[in-house]
Amino acid sequence: MQETTNKPLLSVKNLKKTFGLKTVVNNVSFDVYPGEIITLVGENGAGKSTLKNMLCGLLEPTEGQIFIEGQEVKNINGYEHGISAVHQELSLFGTLTVAENICITQLPGKPGNVNWVEVDNIAQKQLDFLGIDIDTKSLVEDLGTGKQQIVEIAKALLHADKLLILDEPTTSLTAPEREKLFIIMERLKERGVAIIFISHFMDEIYKMGDKYIVLRDGHQVGSGFLKDVPRNDLEEMMVGRTIGESQIDLKPPQEVDAIRVENLSSYDFHDVSFTVKKGEILGIAGLVGAGRTELVEAIFGIRKSKGNIFINDKLVSPVTISKMLENNVSLVTEDRKTNGIFGIRSVRENISAATIESFVNRKIKGFGFRNEEEKTMEVVKDMNVAIPHIQSKIKSLSGGNQQKAIIGRWLSTKPQICILDEPTKGVDIGAKFDIHTMIGELAKQGVAVIVVSSDLPELLQISHRIKVMRTGHMVGEFKREEFNSAKIISMAASSAYEKKE
Amino acid sequence: MIKNGSMAKNSLNVIRNYPAIPIILSLLLAFSLLSPFFLTGINMESMMAANAVILIAAIGQTFVLLTGGIDLSVSTVISASAVLSGVVMASTQSVFLGVITAISVGILFGLFNGVLIGHFGLTPFITTMGTQLIARGIAFVVSQGIAVKGTPDAIVFFGFSSFLGIPYITLVSLGILIICSILLTQTTWGRKIILLGSNRKSADFVGINTKKIEMSVYLLSGFLAGIAGIISVANLGNAIPGVGDTILLIIIGGVVLGGTSMNGGEGSVQRTILGVGILAILTNGLNLIGIPFYDQLIIQGILIFIGNGLAMKISSKSSLAM
Repeated sequence: MQETTNKPLLSVKNLKKTFGLKTVVNNVSFDVYPGEIITLVGENGAGKSTLKNMLCGLLEPTEGQIFIEGQEVKNINGYEHGISAVHQELSLFGTLTVAENICITQLPGKPGNVNWVEVDNIAQKQLDFLGIDIDTKSLVEDLGTGKQQIVEIAKALLHADKLLILDEPTTSLTAPEREKLFIIMERLKERGVAIIFISHFMDEIYKMGDKYIVLRDGHQVGSGFLKDVPRNDLEEMMVGRTIGESQIDLKPPQEVDAIRVENLSSYDFHDVSFTVKKGEILGIAGLVGAGRTELVEAIFGIRKSKGNIFINDKLVSPVTISKMLENNVSLVTEDRKTNGIFGIRSVRENISAATIESFVNRKIKGFGFRNEEEKTMEVVKDMNVAIPHIQSKIKSLSGGNQQKAIIGRWLSTKPQICILDEPTKGVDIGAKFDIHTMIGELAKQGVAVIVVSSDLPELLQISHRIKVMRTGHMVGEFKREEFNSAKIISMAASSAYEKKE
Repeated sequence: MIKNGSMAKNSLNVIRNYPAIPIILSLLLAFSLLSPFFLTGINMESMMAANAVILIAAIGQTFVLLTGGIDLSVSTVISASAVLSGVVMASTQSVFLGVITAISVGILFGLFNGVLIGHFGLTPFITTMGTQLIARGIAFVVSQGIAVKGTPDAIVFFGFSSFLGIPYITLVSLGILIICSILLTQTTWGRKIILLGSNRKSADFVGINTKKIEMSVYLLSGFLAGIAGIISVANLGNAIPGVGDTILLIIIGGVVLGGTSMNGGEGSVQRTILGVGILAILTNGLNLIGIPFYDQLIIQGILIFIGNGLAMKISSKSSLAM
């Protein structure tokens, strides 16, 4: 912090990024000085990744300026300008050695004749600089996640000796690995490297950061020195109230249990028990990686688990997808592209996929699909899906319209228990509103709804009850009258790594 | 004016769905200009008869490719079922028993592939390569490497007869084409095959028994290879142990050339007959104008590039599912 008299390493002025009509980053300005650690905080979808990508040159800003050491830079190229990012998903080649990975972007030697001795030397030098002892000849896939991350940092620092961006680097690390990472960060700081540190964990933010920048819905809602801001204020800044919220009026649920989960355990979650009543919306909050997706997939029979699931007081055994479908359970999965849509098939076929048997013509024994087009068109209208044609490939639609079509697919199965995993992830505001309204409608009709979401304001709006999951455990429950976003956040995040050991 | 516009649009849609049509039309035109004999009834009849076996096997292959798999064993399963049915017919002189034998052999191989791939999750390529060798071995061991003699007259007669210029065996293959087209487009089974090929995980999650569906397409492919086997006996007059050896690539090439995707989830049997048609017309036409066999291979290869490129270009431009 002694650098405040120096000139800034990086200056960002009124940075803005829009995708189509949606503004993802709006009017963000800040300075970064050599040797300081800036923590960039905000919820999922607040615009952190977009900002990161603009800084390392992966995305071009729509408006605004970026200055590096006082010079305005257009067409920023991360490596050339000494900026590099370690992304959440590591970009290493598992079957290559540590040394090869570190030098991959710039192998020394003549074309076609790599100087392998030099490769080894450079890699060793990078690792020595970080003060970490890893054999440069071992294969990356044989290393643990923590060491892989360090290799990634070493690789990044080969080009970026000025600014390093770390995107949620600790989420998959064990406690000792995390400590090691912090030591490295300190060391880099001493040598004048600036770090932009993206994290969800309040403990780490306060431990490592000098300054903070809070993003919410793409806006910079706060910035300053961390020592001046109490933790609660920072959390409130992160969550806030979203603009243009959807209001759904919740009716009290019926006093009948629709689904009861008892002591469900697997590799990713432990001893989870809860019930959902008919007409109740249960929100499940937690950080990415807390085991929420694994839990709902286990309930739907996609993953194996131990424990009991009762539907309408009857034990479901074994828990398989087909059993769950028989019991009118439906699951809208989180990862639309890999296990939701049939990309190259039509909207019609995508919507009818879960109810295809019901379209079969009964008169001529099972031949031909009757009313399929009419019925799917009705779903399209009910769900407010914007499509050029019912025969359009679903992958040609926007994310929001795909999601609405998939939700429509499941609603046409007339579910009694409807599980939605991140239903509004990657969906525009309008579609989000539609989806919230639809969830409210379902509950009114007596359907038990379970919503997993990393978007806390969303859960606060639509849930009767919120359960908080952390590292595979259900750690708390809030009734609607007790809702308190700061409490929920700190419960989901605080000392999240302690139980991981 | 409006009518013209929509007609143009319709024909564009037809081309989009069947990229092979313009190729077939230009080949027909070219060869009828180059050889006066090309468009004669006799030539057309012999061309159809020569390709009946290939068409039947290609229909089965279409179902397999639609799931994203491949069946490399069809060609030699044709040989094995031909030889075994030939042996049965030679000793009993019963065409009926011959047909039963051929179909049973095909079903057995198809079931074997289906269980290994569908149930045990083995790779289609390797599994069917293995069955291909086994079937080829059986065909040669049983026949001792020579054509099986003593085929009943009835089946030979069937192979040489035709109705209104269309050989009986071609009628059989067209009948199979119509039935399979209905099965694929009008039943939940067909729909599930296409959904599985488009995205296996999504298919699992909407409750489709993907293992069973996958098993069924190899079973169908084997069954049709069995029929193709007995048809080959009818066509050639004898059960030939090497009958399938050279046609594997024509079968798969025909399906793909017609516009069925090797990635699964996109295609139809109607496209397959067009793809098989292209290769059939090409071989026949080039023979007529006296192009030597090995030169023909070069032309065939180039045409496969053009046809496939055209199909890809058209399908990637279209936002409508086919």
